[in-house]
Amino acid sequence: MSPLLQVSAVTKRFGGLTAVNAVTFDVAEGEILSVIGPNGAGKSTLFKLISSFLRTTSGQVLFKGERISDLAPHKVAQKGIVRTFQETTIFKNMTVRDNIIVSHHLRSNASLAGYFLGTAAAKSDEAEFGRSADEILGFLGLDEIGGELASNLPQGHLRALGIAIGLATNPSVLLLDEPFAGMNHDETMRTVDLVRGVRQRGITVLLVEHDMPAVMKISDRIVVLNFGEKIAEGTPQQIQNNEKVIEAYLGSEDDAIGI
Amino acid sequence: MEQIIANGLYLGSQYALIALGLTLIFALMNVLNFAHGQMYVLGGFVTYTVYAQLGLPFIVGLLASATTLAVVGALIEKFLFRPVIRKSHREESTMLLAAGIAFFLDAVILLVFGEKQRGVPKIVNGVLNWDFRIIMPYDRILICVLTIFFIAAFIGYMQYSKTGRAMRALAQDKVAAQLMGVNVARYSMIGFALGAMLAGLVGGLLVSITGVNLGMGGPTSIKAFMMVMIGGAGVISGAIAGGLILGMLESVGLSVLSQYGDITYLLIFVSLIIFLAIRPQGLMGKPWG
Amino acid sequence: MSRSKQIIGVAAFLFGVFVLVPLMIKLTGRWDFYYTLTSVALLSIASAGVWLTFYIGRINIGQGAYALVGGYVSAILVVKYGVSFWLTIPLAGLICGCLSILIGLPILRLKGVYFAMVTLVLTEVAKLTALALPITNGAKGISSIPLPGAISIFGLTIIPDFSQLASTKLAFYYLAVTLMVLSYAGLYRLVHSRIGHLCRSLQQNEELASSIGVNISYLRVIAYSVSSFLGGIAGAVFAAISQSIYPSSFQVADSINFMLNCFLGGLGYVFGPMLGTLVLYFGWDLLFTTGKFQLLIYSSLLIALMLALPNGILSLRLFNRKKAEP
Repeated sequence: MSPLLQVSAVTKRFGGLTAVNAVTFDVAEGEILSVIGPNGAGKSTLFKLISSFLRTTSGQVLFKGERISDLAPHKVAQKGIVRTFQETTIFKNMTVRDNIIVSHHLRSNASLAGYFLGTAAAKSDEAEFGRSADEILGFLGLDEIGGELASNLPQGHLRALGIAIGLATNPSVLLLDEPFAGMNHDETMRTVDLVRGVRQRGITVLLVEHDMPAVMKISDRIVVLNFGEKIAEGTPQQIQNNEKVIEAYLGSEDDAIGI
Repeated sequence: MEQIIANGLYLGSQYALIALGLTLIFALMNVLNFAHGQMYVLGGFVTYTVYAQLGLPFIVGLLASATTLAVVGALIEKFLFRPVIRKSHREESTMLLAAGIAFFLDAVILLVFGEKQRGVPKIVNGVLNWDFRIIMPYDRILICVLTIFFIAAFIGYMQYSKTGRAMRALAQDKVAAQLMGVNVARYSMIGFALGAMLAGLVGGLLVSITGVNLGMGGPTSIKAFMMVMIGGAGVISGAIAGGLILGMLESVGLSVLSQYGDITYLLIFVSLIIFLAIRPQGLMGKPWG
Repeated sequence: MSRSKQIIGVAAFLFGVFVLVPLMIKLTGRWDFYYTLTSVALLSIASAGVWLTFYIGRINIGQGAYALVGGYVSAILVVKYGVSFWLTIPLAGLICGCLSILIGLPILRLKGVYFAMVTLVLTEVAKLTALALPITNGAKGISSIPLPGAISIFGLTIIPDFSQLASTKLAFYYLAVTLMVLSYAGLYRLVHSRIGHLCRSLQQNEELASSIGVNISYLRVIAYSVSSFLGGIAGAVFAAISQSIYPSSFQVADSINFMLNCFLGGLGYVFGPMLGTLVLYFGWDLLFTTGKFQLLIYSSLLIALMLALPNGILSLRLFNRKKAEP
């Protein structure tokens, strides 16, 4: 069976700087794959390349064998590859529930004109989005705060809301941007469970992350980047014992301490 | 050809000086100062009063314009912009305020100076005629030289003075500047005063050539906006480049297309829109988004 | 907010503008108020358009351009091609809408101050184009536009010929107010449907909106063209009322005023621009008696209002009661 998502020799240069250099790996359907690496390894850039928020210099990203790199971001989302952002990127002046409802855009059956006129399709969409939003709120344990203005949420809830927004689009692949950043141990463990829950919904998860213990715990497979290049790929076990990886992390103080 | 370049340089240096004030205010406070043209007109009228009415030397008039506008600018920042910026949910509210101030200055100018076109006696007589290649009155040359001097002085001030450096830090990153101990309120006020002062200075300089009237404010603001956009908002080098480019374009356009009237401006405006659609951050601005 | 309260509010408003106002004017004999109120109604239509661009997070200071284009389209069609004025209203709106798609596609990529400044320049471009083109008749403009004719269906006169009326003032008032009611009803529906929801997602974070699959450039252009449509119809009716249109009929100052109307009324409330227009225009008109101090008092009040209520008049709880956003 061919992999769901293929990253194939993807390269990104900014001027003279090569941020991502010929990175290749596959993501199989239903797995949780993490991309890790020391600061400045090119993780974020790769993340933006896959979600098409950046254009590739060369190489391509394939989804079900079809090229998705360099499409407009909303087209990539339409295909079912949806990214989340770090916590500050939400619709701040909407309630939590409205954030989720509006994110159901890709599930719309009615046209814009239909929504304006209030056709039957529009009405059933709206009812359905409301139901689905409530289900997602429940899944993430946010039921209590559905009516809160998103800008008033504490950090932990913001992260969950980010995932909720992603889930609302009904994606095949959810790309998570550092879902554990800045969390304490308990919060991290809760989020680990959450991400597993996401996978149980039949969604393939690709995440970019700093937090080593969490990554080791959650991932089926791990891809390690250093200086823009892939230096290792394998199960958490294999990665833990990989000499290149150890070397790369020792060379970079920040991450060696395990931040 | 030489004539066109000379005219362009003459126009462009004035434009650059106006744009510098506008871009400074924008960089520091993220305020689009709609009243910039009115400040320029006010400066013109002050110089007119001091030089033509009271009969004092031109340079005294210029100083009076600069001082008046600096004070006006400081007061406007402290008592109008600062409270509104603090209380408003949206930054754009300052636009309404700026427009209100523009109307207000128009009204003040109308009441105090009337709506007639005012001119002043020539500051220098005579015309430079270089082989009929460049013909330019001496007063224009003097004004051009003064303008360039003021631009240089401004750049020097921003580059080397403590205040200038603090303002640049503030423009670059408000939060970081604050952490470094830059007093945001104080330097915003100084910056606004300085920007207004530059507008007044240009008004004072130009009254000796074009005269001044109430209606000049609005169009001047629009031109200043354009220059700032061409160069990149909030960037000093951009304002200068924008001013010079607009001056040159106007000079070329007016000589080549003179028989078609206002079509020069139409072309300039349209090309500006196209230029910005391709390069939204202007020539020197940082890309955003 | 209950449904019945809403209906009572709307009914009261309709009764007020269609019955009470004409009655009051008849009683007081202040016929000049018709002109003022007609202008307010039309300007508030154009302002509603500006408000919609605000709603997608863009500061639009170019509505004067579309009002001017709308005015010219209607005038040219009526005068040169003998098209019925009534048909030119939607045509003016549609042409402005299409034009704004062409213009909007590139410039809507700009944000914040940049978009604001480009739209400001747009007003100037419209004026200069009107001066330069032969069909617009340069600075002389188009004058002595005939009054709107009659409309009849199956021999039944629905709208009488305006030139046969004793008072065109009342007729134009009804026309303008009807259009205003329709425009705001449409806008209200738009904002309170899922489209409004999507527009707000755009206003708050375009990047996130695109990540959830919203085609942001498409939605932006749609909103902008609706906005320009409203500017166009307002301009068309304006030209008919004044029976003339000149390059200076809508200037930069008008574009700025449209924006001010929105700010003043409050950007978060659909009916904000209507209230803002009323206050600004009426305030200006009432101050006429103060002669040369008109501008001074007006601008001072504007500044004072801004200092007191930087988030618009409707941000006051008092007004908020009925027409607040969900």
